[in-house]
Amino acid sequence: MSLSTAELAAISVAARWYARLQSGVATDGDRREWHAWLNADPAHRQAWQRMTAVGEQIASVPGALASPALRGADRSRRQVLRSVVMLASAGSLGWLGWRSETTQNLFADLRTAVGERREIRLADGSSLLLNTDTSVNLRFDGRQRVLELLWGEILVSTAVDLSQRPFKVVTAHGEVLALGTRFIVQSQNQGAEVAVLEKAVEVSAHGTDRKVRLEAGQRLNFNARELGPVGRTDASTGAWQQGSIIAIDRPLAELLADLSRYRTGVLRCDPRIADLKVSGAFPIDNTDRALAALESGFSLRVSRYSRYWVTVSL
Amino acid sequence: MSAHELSLRSAVNDLYCDHHGWLSGWLRKRLNNSFDAADLAQDTFVRVIKARNALEIREPRPYLSMIAKGLLVDLFRRRSLEQSYLEALGAMPEWQQPSLEDQAILLQALMEIDRLLQGLGAKVKQTFILSQFDGLTYPQIAERLNISVRTVNNHMAKAMEHCCLMQIQLQLA
Repeated sequence: MSLSTAELAAISVAARWYARLQSGVATDGDRREWHAWLNADPAHRQAWQRMTAVGEQIASVPGALASPALRGADRSRRQVLRSVVMLASAGSLGWLGWRSETTQNLFADLRTAVGERREIRLADGSSLLLNTDTSVNLRFDGRQRVLELLWGEILVSTAVDLSQRPFKVVTAHGEVLALGTRFIVQSQNQGAEVAVLEKAVEVSAHGTDRKVRLEAGQRLNFNARELGPVGRTDASTGAWQQGSIIAIDRPLAELLADLSRYRTGVLRCDPRIADLKVSGAFPIDNTDRALAALESGFSLRVSRYSRYWVTVSL
Repeated sequence: MSAHELSLRSAVNDLYCDHHGWLSGWLRKRLNNSFDAADLAQDTFVRVIKARNALEIREPRPYLSMIAKGLLVDLFRRRSLEQSYLEALGAMPEWQQPSLEDQAILLQALMEIDRLLQGLGAKVKQTFILSQFDGLTYPQIAERLNISVRTVNNHMAKAMEHCCLMQIQLQLA
């Protein structure tokens, strides 16, 4: 829809009327004249409705807040233009947000949105649980069953395959060969992590020949260059299946980075308290409640600058 | 998947591989912050994907930097408004401050108003704020800005017309 010349003209006249009536010193005579104009033509009425819609939008913010905020923004914008430095960096707080929106991930076979979890049954009877913000490609053929984990986290429960095809999860960093099993793989830019819940898997990094067999109750981190040491799983492993993150003496910054995987927007942590150790169960289906728990349980301050921008500080 | 879909996909992939590094660097130089730069580079490509026009792009770098510049200006506008909004909130007596939830809603509303006012001249905008948010009458504004009441009236009419057209345009977008 574009506006006709007549409509544009009506809007222009309606704006003049609106301005006149808002002067604070409008007379009854002004209002009578306006009324006559309004009733002279349906087009006038329509243009006037548009004016009142603008008025309503303006009234949606208290003037005591809008006036200094708009002025302040103008002032800082002018200053920035003067100093030619386009965009000073926002501040000293560290980023904890991360994103999966690469082209590759957007085109993946299976995808979950931020905050979403989804279970999928595969053609061979295996089941796949996708955690938040995850992208997976399926590469099943006559010889093998391959899941390409592009980004995110999955829990795999493999089924016995009649034709005995091997089952593998391939990430950017290396691969995990299932040995009749239930296991979790998480992969992002810096590296991947695998944890075995039942039976065993064999892990190999792309850049090395070394292979490590992981049994139930074991976990390890790896990247393309190396496999980390084998560790033990604990109550926190795979807690996302039940909708929570379980932290056991975990640095706050790490916990927030983990929470931010389940919410859109920016979650920042004051670097002065990044190493603060926290413990507890935090709901991931309602991360605002998780933040509220941090606020009350650890005397932290959660400042919400907007729905998409939250800072945790002392 | 259709042949067109496939070639579109590979065009986006090529574009990403060939220019993502360059674009990130370009943005880093302007932002002094590699995190924001990485985000905006990503947003730029998301725009390209959504526009579905990767096959028609002949001059990738000017095109990508044009999109990125728009995003830079948006980010900068949002940040400066967010900052001054927080200052305004901080200056209010505590008992008057809205709840956190309302604060977020108000900021969103304020950003939309800011967009309506975008492009107005400084004098006109100042007049508009004094009238609509500070509640001054036209004679009071005239005195404050040392202009005639008639000019105040003209500024206000101009501002309302501008806001109305912006509102219609934004609703269509």
